[in-house]
Amino acid sequence: MRWALLTASVAPATTALWAGIVLIGGVEPSVPALTWVEGLDLEFRFTIDALALLMTVLVSGIGALVFVYAVGYFGPGANDGGRFAASLLAFSTSMLGLVWADSVWTLFIFWELTSVTSFLLVGHKNTSPSVQMAARRALMITGGGGLALLAGLLVLADAAGTTVISNLSPVAGTAGTVAAVLVLIGAATKSAQVPFHVWLPGAMAAPTPVSAYLHSATMVKAGVLLVAVTGPAFADVVAFKTLGLAFGITSMFWGGIGALRHRDAKLILAWGTVSQLGLLITLLAVGSGKAILAAVSILLAHALFKAALFLVVGEIDMRTGTRNIDELGGLSRSMPVAFGVAVAAGLSMAGVPPLLGFTAKEAAIEAVLKLSGFEQVVVGIGVIGGSVLTVAYTLRFLLGVFGPGPATQVGPARLSMTAPAVILATAGVVGFWTLGLVNDLVRPAAIELNAKAEVYELVRWPGMTTAFIISAAIVVVGGVLGTAVTRRPPTVPAPIGAEGADSILDGTLGMAKRLTARIQHGSLPVYVATMTATASLAALPFFTDLNLDHLVWWNHPLQAVLALAIVASAVGGAFVGSRLGAALTLGAVGTGVSALFVVHGAPDLALTQLLVETVIVVGFVIGLGPLARRFPSVAGPWKAARLAVSVFAGVAVTLALAAAGSNPSGRAPVADLATSAVADGGGNNIANVILTDMRAVDTLGEVVVLATVAIGILALANTNPSKASE
Amino acid sequence: MTLSHSPAAQIGIQTSSPLAVIVGIYLLFAGHNNPGGGFAAGLVFGAVIALRTVAGLQRPAYARELTTIGLLIVATVAIAPLLWGDPLLDQQVISAQFPILGKVKSGSALVFDLGVTAIVIGLVVAVLDGLGASELGTPELGSAGPNAPDLDPTSPGGATTTTTTPTTSDPAQARRGE
Repeated sequence: MRWALLTASVAPATTALWAGIVLIGGVEPSVPALTWVEGLDLEFRFTIDALALLMTVLVSGIGALVFVYAVGYFGPGANDGGRFAASLLAFSTSMLGLVWADSVWTLFIFWELTSVTSFLLVGHKNTSPSVQMAARRALMITGGGGLALLAGLLVLADAAGTTVISNLSPVAGTAGTVAAVLVLIGAATKSAQVPFHVWLPGAMAAPTPVSAYLHSATMVKAGVLLVAVTGPAFADVVAFKTLGLAFGITSMFWGGIGALRHRDAKLILAWGTVSQLGLLITLLAVGSGKAILAAVSILLAHALFKAALFLVVGEIDMRTGTRNIDELGGLSRSMPVAFGVAVAAGLSMAGVPPLLGFTAKEAAIEAVLKLSGFEQVVVGIGVIGGSVLTVAYTLRFLLGVFGPGPATQVGPARLSMTAPAVILATAGVVGFWTLGLVNDLVRPAAIELNAKAEVYELVRWPGMTTAFIISAAIVVVGGVLGTAVTRRPPTVPAPIGAEGADSILDGTLGMAKRLTARIQHGSLPVYVATMTATASLAALPFFTDLNLDHLVWWNHPLQAVLALAIVASAVGGAFVGSRLGAALTLGAVGTGVSALFVVHGAPDLALTQLLVETVIVVGFVIGLGPLARRFPSVAGPWKAARLAVSVFAGVAVTLALAAAGSNPSGRAPVADLATSAVADGGGNNIANVILTDMRAVDTLGEVVVLATVAIGILALANTNPSKASE
Repeated sequence: MTLSHSPAAQIGIQTSSPLAVIVGIYLLFAGHNNPGGGFAAGLVFGAVIALRTVAGLQRPAYARELTTIGLLIVATVAIAPLLWGDPLLDQQVISAQFPILGKVKSGSALVFDLGVTAIVIGLVVAVLDGLGASELGTPELGSAGPNAPDLDPTSPGGATTTTTTPTTSDPAQARRGE
């Protein structure tokens, strides 16, 4: 258990170290690419640039810490640590692929992989029905968003004329709008934006290391990252900014309100994440240089403080057995280290100096002040209102968990759980005092997204600027609000939206079941009619090529006689009442056709056709054994439908073949084939040399199909209905 | 279900079976220069098996084995040239002088055709099995068959399905039951 997790932590730790060294040493973007399907622009293409490296440090660094933390979280008794370590490592890899991706298809593949691995991790405790539901809900919403993203990327790549993300040119017009809306929906599902946020609180059913890693620091940032890297391409699209702001500002408010309603400390943080992600989406939708710099800074700061807070909550849950803030209290004395971490991280979240969160939030407010007109009003209300709520729920969280109250019984501490939280919280403090280093990390990434970000940098102490006064006012108002809400007797909050998502999920599954029952009805005559009608429809477009002038009616009078015999047999077959009689008339048709081949000078074809007919007729004799001797009588509309399909199929095939026959192109290849058959194939039978030498690959494919059919029949024959019903 | 088989048909098919097998072998070898080939040969063998089934005579029931062997043969012939740096399915022609036959020329295409033949026979046998050929009460080579003496008809569970009710038995099932 312990060793599985510690071994798994080596890979992310090494990656983080490498990324950190490269990042500090100055980034030379490298572009490894592996072509997959040429001509379709399908390739695995990665770019390691400043933004990718910053995300790499976060993904791998926090990943390594979370592995260490999991050792303490699961304890020595747990027995499915191997599965957990494997899933978490798979997620970590998918996430790295996502942040490095430079082709829209690579991005999409890793995007989906993070959804799938997240499903496995949320559903880690796979025996609980509520956990299963939460995992399914998360998969349905993020997976549905993935479909929207795929459509959006298709439109975007088509409009921009490239699949390489770093080469995307600005798109405009209807295509741009459609792509922007679809990509934003994809991003909103992943980054838990209202109204797609309902999966995130449910995903708190996951083990706390997962919540800290996926649902605060990394996976939920995938949507943010997507908006960031596609932002330049959508710079001229109005819908991108409008919808982005709508998602972001709504989520900021609704997430903040949710965090004030809940009593589970983990849910408070989860709703807070919805709010913070809303802030990030808002800033990226604004897209100005300062806003991008603020967004990248908050991305970094949020990953640090939110992961630290989750780890603290997990430790409290482990040591006290509860996460309910009504039952918790007085932990500031009994868990001083956790208290210190929570205060440092919490104040960073609230935007209080001297912490990294303060600097980042200052940048956001300054970005708002640089806007003008209606946009400034809307974004300003969003950012300031959201920040007030953030201060309020942070205070409620700190007071509820650590504040005065009946002292909660506390279990023994585990170093492996404490240390990672301390490291993350310390990073937030150190980041503020070594702001030069943080600037070196953040600015190149921001400049990559918007060149105008170059003139800005993060400031440690702005002085008494407007932004600082607003910041101070936010803290005061939020503090008052937070204190008031904490004292209010809490009510049980209704999980708005979750039932809706669940009923959509149930409805989707039910609809799939009904649809399958309708399509796969099991009636062989209807299957045959459907397939015949569809194939005949496919022959329709060739009718126009029919050219009666070029059509050769016959080469030999015998052909006309044989044709008449074939038609007579076919017509007879339609009227024969007994099954065996019908099989024999079909055999007569086939034999007539093979006679036609003989007249035309194709003995090989005739021989094969004749043998096929023989085997089929004998097969009919065997197969018809258990059935009634005569066909069941068919009447009414079903008979009419069968007649219509049959006539349609006959006409369609006849006309399509006539159309093909009346359009000879070039010279017949017989002479060339005859020469090469002897020269290359060493045989005089052209047909067979084609089969075994010149086009032997085709034959190989055909016999593989035959073998597959044989195996399929054997498998079907082995499924014993009486056994299945037992 | 038991069918009364016509003795005339049985004798006719019994006598002509060896002849048909010779025709099939001829077609397999003749294919390169005259009408015939692996597919036609496989169909001739398949027709023999089908007719014997109808007439209630012994027939081979090695669908799985034939298909597997056929696939292995064609895959080997297809891939082997790659080992010598030749393209996929490249043909090797050899000719030799024999006492009675005279000069014989053949190639890897013949082996390829042999694989095709095996697969076609396998498919025909599989289809016959799938159509419930065993319901005709045909004794089968290489299979326990519906009336296998080594199965205890009174034993409970799945094995009884192969013995008690002919409508639910099939050769593959019986083989598994052995």
